[in-house]
This record gives sequence, C-alpha cells and structure tokens, in this order.
Amino acid sequence: MRRLRAVRPVEVDERGLELVSFCGHCGVAPAQDAVQQSRVCGHCGLGLVLQAPADVAPRGDEPFLVIDSTLSVCAVSAQAEELLGVDETEAVNQHVADFLLPADANAPCADNLLVLLVEAASGSGAPRTAIVRPRQEFGVRFRARIGPCGPPHAALLVLTS
Amino acid sequence: MFSMRTLKTSEAAALLNVSPNTLRAWERRFGYPKPQRSAGRHRLYTHGEVAALRDALQQGLSISSAVSRAREALSTDTHTLVGALASFELDRADSAMEAALALRSVERSVEEVLLPSLDELGQRHGIDSAPWAFAARWADSWLRRAQRLAPPPVRPLAILVGDATRNEPDPDALAVRAFELFCGRSGARVMALPVAGLSDVVESLSPDAVVIAGSHVPDDDVALWAYRVRTAAGPLPMALFRRAHHHGAMVRTTGTRVLADTPFGAHRQLLAIVDDRRGDRFGEVAPAVTRVGDVEVREAQA
Repeated sequence: MRRLRAVRPVEVDERGLELVSFCGHCGVAPAQDAVQQSRVCGHCGLGLVLQAPADVAPRGDEPFLVIDSTLSVCAVSAQAEELLGVDETEAVNQHVADFLLPADANAPCADNLLVLLVEAASGSGAPRTAIVRPRQEFGVRFRARIGPCGPPHAALLVLTS
Repeated sequence: MFSMRTLKTSEAAALLNVSPNTLRAWERRFGYPKPQRSAGRHRLYTHGEVAALRDALQQGLSISSAVSRAREALSTDTHTLVGALASFELDRADSAMEAALALRSVERSVEEVLLPSLDELGQRHGIDSAPWAFAARWADSWLRRAQRLAPPPVRPLAILVGDATRNEPDPDALAVRAFELFCGRSGARVMALPVAGLSDVVESLSPDAVVIAGSHVPDDDVALWAYRVRTAAGPLPMALFRRAHHHGAMVRTTGTRVLADTPFGAHRQLLAIVDDRRGDRFGEVAPAVTRVGDVEVREAQA
C-alpha cells in the first residue's frame, strides 16, 4: 500500500494570500509539527506567535515592530530593540512616531507612513513599502515593508536595509 | 477577611500554558507576574495576577503589551478605592480592599492599593482636607484591624517602635501602621509607643530592636527617648523609619540605620539587621558582604 505523506494545509487570509507564523520577539517560525496549544513562542518564550502574509513577514533576522490601529507600539522584535536602541518593555504603548518617522520627502501624501500603518492595522491594506528613519537620527534610512498581521489585527513594519 | 489564592510555579505555568522556565524568564524581563516567597523560599504566584495575564495574552500582540494590560486590570482596585474614599463611602472602600486582597497578599494590597490611594487623595485634595481626614481615619482603622487579625507572634523577636508621627492626619502615620502590621505578620512581637513615654515597657518587652518612626517629634525629644531606651535595655540595634532629613543607609554620627521608605522594604531590612546581629553574636554566620559595583565589601566585625 502506498503511504501518503502527511500534509499541512496552507493558511491563507481573506484575500487568499498565504500566511506564515512567526514569533513577535525572535521572529522564528514555530515548529510545523508542534501542536499549537499556546500562543507563546516555544523557541524564546518572550514573544507571542503572530501571522502575516508571506510577502510581509520577517525573513531571517530582519528587525520589525508591531503597531496597532491607534499607532501605539505593541511589540518590538529583539533585532529591532538592538537596531533602534529601545527596550520593548518601555516602547510598548508609545506612539510609533516616537521611534520612527517617514523619511521619503517625495512620497505623496496618501502614502504617508501613518496612513499605511492604520490601513494595515485595520487588516485591509495590501503590503506596501515606505522609507523611514529613526527619530532624532539623521542620515540613517531604512526601507520598511508594511502589511497586516495578527491576531488581533495590527500592522507589521519590517525594517530592511 | 484575608483570603488569597496562590499558585506554585508549576501551577501558574500550567495555567498560562508555558514552561516554568518561561515564567521565570518573564519575571526577570517584565517583572510580572511578581511572586512572593513561601517559608521554604519557593515562588508563590497570586492567582489573580496569573489569571489577568492569561486573559491579556489571549488578546495581546506581545508579552509586554499583555503584561501592561494585566497590570492595568489590577490597578482598577486603586481607582475604586480612591473613588470610594473621595465620596466618603466606607462600605465601598472596604469592598475595594477585599477585591485587592483576592488578588494580592496583605503586604502587597497595602503597598500597591491602600497607601497609593491615600497618596493620591493627599495630592488631589491636600492633607488638611476632609477627604484626606476621612480616608486617613479609615486606613488607620483598616490597618489596626488587620493587625488584630494577624497570627500570634511565632518568632523570638520583639520590636519597639517609637512613634514620632502626628497620628492620623500625618501621612507617615499610615506608613508606620503598615510597618507594624508587616512586622507583626512576619511573626515578631511589636509594640508601638509615642516617643514621649517609656515607663516599664523595655523590661516587659525586652526588645531586640528599636525603630524610631515619623518626623513630627523634634530631634531633641527623640534623642532623649532613645537615650532612655539604651539606658534601660543596653545597646540595641536602632533604626529610623520615615524620619525626615535622614537619608542614606546610616546616620554617620550615631551609626543608626535608616530604613527604606516603604513599609515592606523597611520591615525586611529590620528583620535582616536583627538576624545579622544574632548571627554575629553567636558566631553563626560570616560577616555580611555588600557588593559595591564589582567590589565586595566585607563589614568589619565589632
């Protein structure tokens, strides 16, 4: 008898985009065969497992932040803590503009960073990119991938070089 | 009156669906949940804190935000107590403390709910206001009631508190009541007297330590009282609590220890001082070692 390989259904969002899971602190994807009984990351124990479309989710050790619809910071990855010199425990509940500002002077108004974040946090925005810089720091710019994540609905901002 | 459900590390970890190591990592990184220690130094988590975190984790985006939400949920007790006292409602104030006690130990309920609520009222209305007077009287009576319900003394330890406060309207007086309560609950025999009188109390109490608490009585009167205590009881560890103008670890001229400003911190320090002294006296322990930066400082033996 031919043995069938166990397959895992691909999770997709309402738009049919493939969703991937990752830890909101270390960014590591949970083990595929692990039974997800807890939302807490089994790898580092310091983050909750979130989902985001595959084209937005952090790859490797890309730093990222999670922001809610009120533009408050909800999570800062370990890499982003190091990059921005902030501690997640102090950054949580603060406005995202306390840490990152738009840095693309040519961007049209509709593409404003905060608008993109609110759209993404409502779960309706398609993945977008923006140029940002750390607050009170000039000459340092990052490309940011912005898209929805959750649960619950929030915006994921992944910093890329 | 003082019922609080506690959980062992394994039980709290199971409730949160994490490993005990993760729970300890959260304590280091987030300072929450904050366990007490059992007599055997094992962690004991309050069920309310753990349950609040479990609920927050279900809707959270990170452990930090869940911790923040859980803390917020617990701080509602303070808001309720402030509201009850500001509107002169005794029953509601009692209920707020009952609710606080369901989630915390007596010590933490006093330090995290009762005293901060009184502080807030004092700042909001001033300590010469009617709400403050009402709240201070209620708090004083609550603390005394809690003291009466404390278990009988089990430690061979007696503490004489020289009360130098102005009584109820004095914010320090409540901290001193709380200090007495915590010392009593840790098994010590505590006697508080105004610094004006002494009579035969030293002989009947045989104190192991003396604490002068509060700033209302002038230094000269306090010094006279302390001298009479020393004359009657011999050299005893003496400490200051909530005595204005005395900061740092020790009064340079007399060697009197200055205790922490919080009642819980002060009572822990005092117990440590007495234990150290007993150890020194019987040669049971090595000299105390204090870390200053990376350097270990050994206290000189008398």
